[in-house]
Amino acid sequence: MRFAVAHKAATYLMVSCAYIAMVGSGGVAGPIALAGLVALIGSWFWEPPLIRYEKWAWMWTTASVFALVYSILTAVVTGDFLGVGAQFLVWLIVAKAYNRRAARDWQQMYLLSFLMLVAGSVLNADLTYGICFLGFVIAATWALTLFHLRREMEDNLLVKHAADRASERVEVRRILDSKRIVGGRFFVGTGLLSLAVFLLSAAAFLALPRVGFGFFLKNRGGLTLTGFSESVKLGGHGVLKSDSTVVMRVELDSAIGSRDAVPLHWRGIAFDRYNRGGWSVTSDAPFTNDTVDYPRAGTERHTLAWMNARPTMPDRIEEVATKQEVWLEPLDSDVMFGASNPRVFEGSQVVRRSPQKAMHNEELRLQHSSTVHYTVYSQIDPPPVAELRAAANELPPALKRSYAVYLQWPEDQITARTVALAAQITAGFTNNYDKAQAISAWLDKNTRYTLELKEPGRQEPIDFFLFDRKEGHCEYYASAFAILARIAGIPTRQVNGFYGGEWNEYQGYVAVRAGDAHSWDEVYFPGKGWVTFDPTPPDRKDPLGRGGSGWRARMGRFMDTLRFQWTKWVIEYDLVAQLQLFRDLGSAIKHGALSLRDLIVKSWWVIAILVAGAVAYAVIRRKRRTDDPLAPARRVRPRARSAVADAYHRVVKQLAKHGITREPGVTPQELAARLATPFAPDVRELTALYYAAEWGGKTDPTAERRAGELATSITAALATR
Amino acid sequence: MRKWLRRRWRPPRRLSFTREGKILVFLSVGVGFAAINTGNNLLYLLLGWMLSFIIASGVLSEATLRALVVERRPPPKIFASEPFLMEVVIKNGKPKRASYSIEVEDLQAGVPIDKRCYFLKIPEAKSQRTSYRHTFVRRGLYTLTGYRLATKFPFALFRKSRDVDAPLDLLVYPARVAVPRPPPRSATRGDATADRLGRRGEFFGLREHRAGDDRRDVHWKSSARSGRLLVREYEDELARRLVIAVDNALPKEVREALSANAPGENETAPVGPWSNGFGAMTPVLEAQVSAVERAISIAASLANAYLEVGWTVELVARGCHVAGGMGRTHEARIARALAILPYVGDDVAFAPLPKRVESVLVTPRGVPANGRPSAHTVMDA
Repeated sequence: MRFAVAHKAATYLMVSCAYIAMVGSGGVAGPIALAGLVALIGSWFWEPPLIRYEKWAWMWTTASVFALVYSILTAVVTGDFLGVGAQFLVWLIVAKAYNRRAARDWQQMYLLSFLMLVAGSVLNADLTYGICFLGFVIAATWALTLFHLRREMEDNLLVKHAADRASERVEVRRILDSKRIVGGRFFVGTGLLSLAVFLLSAAAFLALPRVGFGFFLKNRGGLTLTGFSESVKLGGHGVLKSDSTVVMRVELDSAIGSRDAVPLHWRGIAFDRYNRGGWSVTSDAPFTNDTVDYPRAGTERHTLAWMNARPTMPDRIEEVATKQEVWLEPLDSDVMFGASNPRVFEGSQVVRRSPQKAMHNEELRLQHSSTVHYTVYSQIDPPPVAELRAAANELPPALKRSYAVYLQWPEDQITARTVALAAQITAGFTNNYDKAQAISAWLDKNTRYTLELKEPGRQEPIDFFLFDRKEGHCEYYASAFAILARIAGIPTRQVNGFYGGEWNEYQGYVAVRAGDAHSWDEVYFPGKGWVTFDPTPPDRKDPLGRGGSGWRARMGRFMDTLRFQWTKWVIEYDLVAQLQLFRDLGSAIKHGALSLRDLIVKSWWVIAILVAGAVAYAVIRRKRRTDDPLAPARRVRPRARSAVADAYHRVVKQLAKHGITREPGVTPQELAARLATPFAPDVRELTALYYAAEWGGKTDPTAERRAGELATSITAALATR
Repeated sequence: MRKWLRRRWRPPRRLSFTREGKILVFLSVGVGFAAINTGNNLLYLLLGWMLSFIIASGVLSEATLRALVVERRPPPKIFASEPFLMEVVIKNGKPKRASYSIEVEDLQAGVPIDKRCYFLKIPEAKSQRTSYRHTFVRRGLYTLTGYRLATKFPFALFRKSRDVDAPLDLLVYPARVAVPRPPPRSATRGDATADRLGRRGEFFGLREHRAGDDRRDVHWKSSARSGRLLVREYEDELARRLVIAVDNALPKEVREALSANAPGENETAPVGPWSNGFGAMTPVLEAQVSAVERAISIAASLANAYLEVGWTVELVARGCHVAGGMGRTHEARIARALAILPYVGDDVAFAPLPKRVESVLVTPRGVPANGRPSAHTVMDA
């Protein structure tokens, strides 16, 4: 490839990676981003000899001034400095790409790409940023290396010397068109190098201490997902769509997480009041009993004391509860989700705004505007059926007042035939558990699940569902169950959350999608706590299921794995994750060292054979090299100097200090012969000894002693001179 | 001691920031600060890249500087005030990797001289050659203490350099000037012989053959008779002999001023033009030094002119004597002697001028000195 073309291509690759990283997730308005991209592609051809830059300079200057004024005004008016700044960057890079005149312009393009990457780090938290970043790292290595060579060429290769001619100028153009300077090997070599740079960057990324303020400045209104609603309103018409956008990823034990495991209820919010076909949380509902403590550096722990449940012991929670690692995407709601029933939440300790709403009904809210990572410990298994049957039917006196909200039903709205139905279903059962089961069974038997909505009109929705339509989705089932149970005197509340999720076999996690949103109920058993009841027919309540098994579904899951890893290791990597990583690394090293020791102890003879083989190989190689007449000669070691030579050199140095220098062309003997000083005979004798020792190979203690004496006397004589 | 320490502790590599390097470091600090302040992990990622980029730059520049050997080939003769081309050959000893963007500078007393050579690419296990044009203003013995290899490869963020000790002595001959060749006087022309040996002339005697003797001089008959190789010896022709005397005396105050400017170490060292300049000297004293230099230049040029046409030339100066001789090697001998001819006081006597030989005395104009010998011709430089 021609040098100039290689340089241009590398630069454009670098710029486009940075550009896509910035505009990738819609941080810049679509049309502007697209126009910028088209303009960048066009600028590839905008250069001499097709175009004379000077001719168009006025246009670019005018347009740039206009763009600047426009951007400042827009930023001041809208207050969105980041978004407008990104737009202005788009303009600047396009303008620069159309004016690539000198080295300085290239340099500014590199600087602008870098700034785009910085802007992208705020605007684009998607996986595209990661991919573009990798491309940028590789392209930047190429582009900057080639740019350096190009500039050095222009600076240094202008003049060429010839032996007997005047210096002549070398045409830079000719070198820029040369195909010999950089070739495939250069690109592969620097490409590999930049991969190493990328890995090093990743290591540096993981190792740089996360001592910042965490989310402190992160509250830029991000993109939020819909799919979970904080209220329930029965009615409406149309078909419920199944949206497969992932809202939450949960790592959990394979015992409950595998493809064949029972789907879990991801509990979010619980409603206590039913009115006019809708559910809501009232201020009368009991508050969530949330205790906050800080078990480790940087970790914040919320322990929910579920009323009358088995006691929660946060320090031993791992033994009694199931652990889940949750990465929750930003939703419209700030409710935290966990497998039913969640007891302990652990997350990074960060500066947060306090929840906008008071927390009721054992829900937990934490303000977050980007993906949040936390750990939940849940008690998944309900108490044994026998215990539930044995539980009291009446609320204990202490709860009579506060739990009255869970027995509420609008008597003026609920029709008489509904009340009669409740009595009819539960007749003959003595305990609440059996009554609840009977209601559930009746719904299963007499109604059908459907995703098609039908407007009940002026009719009370539950009455419409139970007696007329006899079809409905989960919200109808849950609402009907709750109201029938409340009529029968069973404390019940409706719960919204997600159900099931797609099992990802590549990384072992559950991806919960927006379409997995679900409604069910919780029934209170005095002394036993809240127990999950899901009246929706089991075969229909999970329309999305655990995901398909075709190659497209698998491919989708694979892509989701990448996205998840990106979120987990890059976007949500924090001090807690860092400390955990270091701990894991430490134990892995320890473990590795121990197993290595065991290996050596166990199979020492294998190691011994390997070592012996390596030594033998080295010896043979060395011997072969010495036998090879063409092998490069080994470096000659300097001879050890004799004491006589040392004495002589000392004297020569002293002589030089006193103005008697030995020029490179003068032999020691000539120097000695030339001397006409009183100590000249001494120097001659020393010179003779020096010759004998250094070149005659004679080592003689007497001579050495004599040389020392002579040196001392000559030095003394010189000093008195 | 200080020198020793400096040599001992001299860092193996020198690193200086370029403008781009400074910008990158500045940006890294900015991004680092922003990362800590916002906790935005992508900024951490960017910071990680910038740091790795700097590290990679260091590793690559190290690799490119490694296993390079420079050989400098000076021209056979260098004259003061005349540009010469120094050939620089650089060999890449790495068997697998090319070196890019290498600068080579010669060091004089550890400081780079004003010229440098640039090599864009030195392919693996190959060598490249270029040359630089340089001029020494004054005659003398110059020592290039070594050379400096430098590179801004790969990203021009830093300029990394490595000094290599490789002393190279350059003898700079006196400047060449155009001089008229004084016509030889008839009185000393031609017919007398001296008791000296010459290449071809009257037969002088026989002696035993020594290695290096011309085989044409072997006297075969005598050799056959004696059983040893004997060669003829000839008497030199006195004709076309010339003694050039040049006065290298300078008054005491000028020499003291010169040595005051010289780098301190050895005060008693001979003072010459290489003693680093005429810095703080009055114009009058400087004129005297220039006059001596001019005289030396003229003497050298004169010797050259006569040797060119086959004369035997002998050189005499205060404290210096080069016996008569002919030919190229003799030309070099005289040039060398004049190149390193020191300034002395007029108490140092001239070697005696042979009476019967044509002689020229070159004296520096405006420099008073005693004890100048009488010569057939006196040139006032």
